Amino acid sequence: MTRRITIDPITRLEGHGKIEIFLDDAGDVSSAYFQIPELRGFESFCVGRHAEEMANITNRICGVCPEAHHMAAAKAVDAAFGVPCLPAARRIRELIYMAFFVTDHTTHFYCLGGPDFIVGPDAPASERNILGVIRKVGVDIGLQVINCRKRNHELIKRLGGRGVHLCGALPGGWSVALSEEMRRDFLHCAKENIDFARFSLKTFDDIVLKDQAYLDLMFSDLYRHETHSMGTVDAGMAPNFYEGRIRVVDTLGNEVALYDPKDYLSHIAEHVEPWSYLKFPYLKKFGWNGFVDGQESGIYHATPLARLNVADRMATPLAQAEFERFFDTFGARGKAANGRNLPVHQRLATHWARLIELLYAAERMQELLEHPEICDPAVRQVVEAQAGIGIGSVEAPRGTLTHHYETDVRGVLTKVNLIVGTTNNNAPISLSVMKAAKGLIKGGVFSDGILNQVEMAFRLYDPCCSCATHALGKAPLEVNLRAVDGSLLDQQVRG
Amino acid sequence: MRSTYSDCVVIGLGCPFLSDDSIGPRVIRELAAGMEESWRLVESHAGGLLLLEELAGAKRAIIVDALLDSRRTPGEVVVAGIYGSSQNAACGHDCTLLQALTIGRAMGLDLPTDMNIHLVAVVADDVTTFAENLSPRVASALPEACRIVRSLAQGHLFANKEAA
Repeated sequence: MTRRITIDPITRLEGHGKIEIFLDDAGDVSSAYFQIPELRGFESFCVGRHAEEMANITNRICGVCPEAHHMAAAKAVDAAFGVPCLPAARRIRELIYMAFFVTDHTTHFYCLGGPDFIVGPDAPASERNILGVIRKVGVDIGLQVINCRKRNHELIKRLGGRGVHLCGALPGGWSVALSEEMRRDFLHCAKENIDFARFSLKTFDDIVLKDQAYLDLMFSDLYRHETHSMGTVDAGMAPNFYEGRIRVVDTLGNEVALYDPKDYLSHIAEHVEPWSYLKFPYLKKFGWNGFVDGQESGIYHATPLARLNVADRMATPLAQAEFERFFDTFGARGKAANGRNLPVHQRLATHWARLIELLYAAERMQELLEHPEICDPAVRQVVEAQAGIGIGSVEAPRGTLTHHYETDVRGVLTKVNLIVGTTNNNAPISLSVMKAAKGLIKGGVFSDGILNQVEMAFRLYDPCCSCATHALGKAPLEVNLRAVDGSLLDQQVRG
Repeated sequence: MRSTYSDCVVIGLGCPFLSDDSIGPRVIRELAAGMEESWRLVESHAGGLLLLEELAGAKRAIIVDALLDSRRTPGEVVVAGIYGSSQNAACGHDCTLLQALTIGRAMGLDLPTDMNIHLVAVVADDVTTFAENLSPRVASALPEACRIVRSLAQGHLFANKEAA
């Protein structure tokens, strides 16, 4: 008789998600699924509206990554109306976006992913949170986290109009220019961010890399998957979160695709499963071959780890040094047959990759602010609505985000499609949950600590179900353990 | 003595495009339209640490939100303390509002006391349909919700309506 475990809501996951684990007669895992129950039809809601409204509609989908939707929407509208963004406005957009990345990655490390390492994966659920982190490492770190978020949200508010649901984007531009006073203030902010990112990397070194048990966990097969990797790169093949081409490398490090985001439909298709409202994107080149990893599978991931895997280098010096150290640690630097780095497949390394991205974002802020033309007052232009197709893409912290709009001659939307970061990672998340569950639950024996280690397998993806399903205000996660007949054996509900 | 408006932040939580979930932002817009005092009004769909940042510097806070409660009638207005805070006040990405307040106080942030944080919740009928209009019963509760928020901002309490 199959038994079933449900994890619902998933601890520390934005939006409402559920993990269902089915046990066979021997008490071993026969299958496991990551599910997002809600479907809200957000795209349909948007059709018939003026395209320029989208930046201020999509940024209200959730409170976690409004900046990502705001930027992707702005870029999609630019493209639909055929108007290139003014140079200073483009830099302001990227500056704000980097400040957002700093806050988001900081929050994930210290509040979501970090507690598993800093407090411990077997610690009581009530301790595996930011409060537990502060108790473990001290109030000073908590204060640094709060201050980091505060200074970057202040930047977003001053340039974006609001601290959370910013509203600064205009077609082809930005609503406010950067003053010299702001530039000086924000340079100070950027330098503090760099210091904080380096501090965070040292914290990761001290707590994770110097602890053999955690190293063993990171290198273990339990959290390892060989899937292809996706991310946005600049002309020098370094990650860029705001713009560039999409690069895909296979499990061996070979480039299998490099395309303009507007061509995403030529490379990506979506698989549908009856048990999930959320689709499963895959690479057309390989096709959908089921929930399997390996070179022949079409499954890819689009995460901080994937972005490092697709890159040849980082665009800033401190991040570059960390990038090299990262691949050296895994014995992967320059080890692919083509001389590239071998992709790192240890999924728990995503936490480390996230911190390297944090450092890059902070350095990039400084670069942008030191550009001589960032204070150019020309940030707005007259734009005429037109019939067109616009595809805007950015790297959201949790994966490649694509907004696809089509407009009529009045600039009214006739089609809207969104592929968000978490959707890209839906299939690998399912793979990871299945593998961790199978590896950890044996003979029907499980505990809160074991179920948390199952959650760790997907939490590293930093999923955001609000964006993925456009569901709002729900409790985060539930894990259900069920028998063959579907009867509930145990339930862990995390709020 | 009544408190001044200026030390009070009113936060309307929810998505403005999700039927009754928009009651928080709708209250904020109503208040903004008739505002004669320097209230700090915030529309947000963010919980946890982001909400903490909005509370910083305020002596009193009123959080307006939609409430799902099958024991109550849609359109009913409920006033509760901080311990009755809704799921919207929590962020699955970081922490609950209560945890955020604990962190903030440990960090020495200037935050309202628990007693000075009020939740005004309107029982929702539909929070799953994308639409800009409120359901009829919730729409009819909008004036009452605004009246209660104004009164709370003036320092009046509504202990008789404390949520279970």
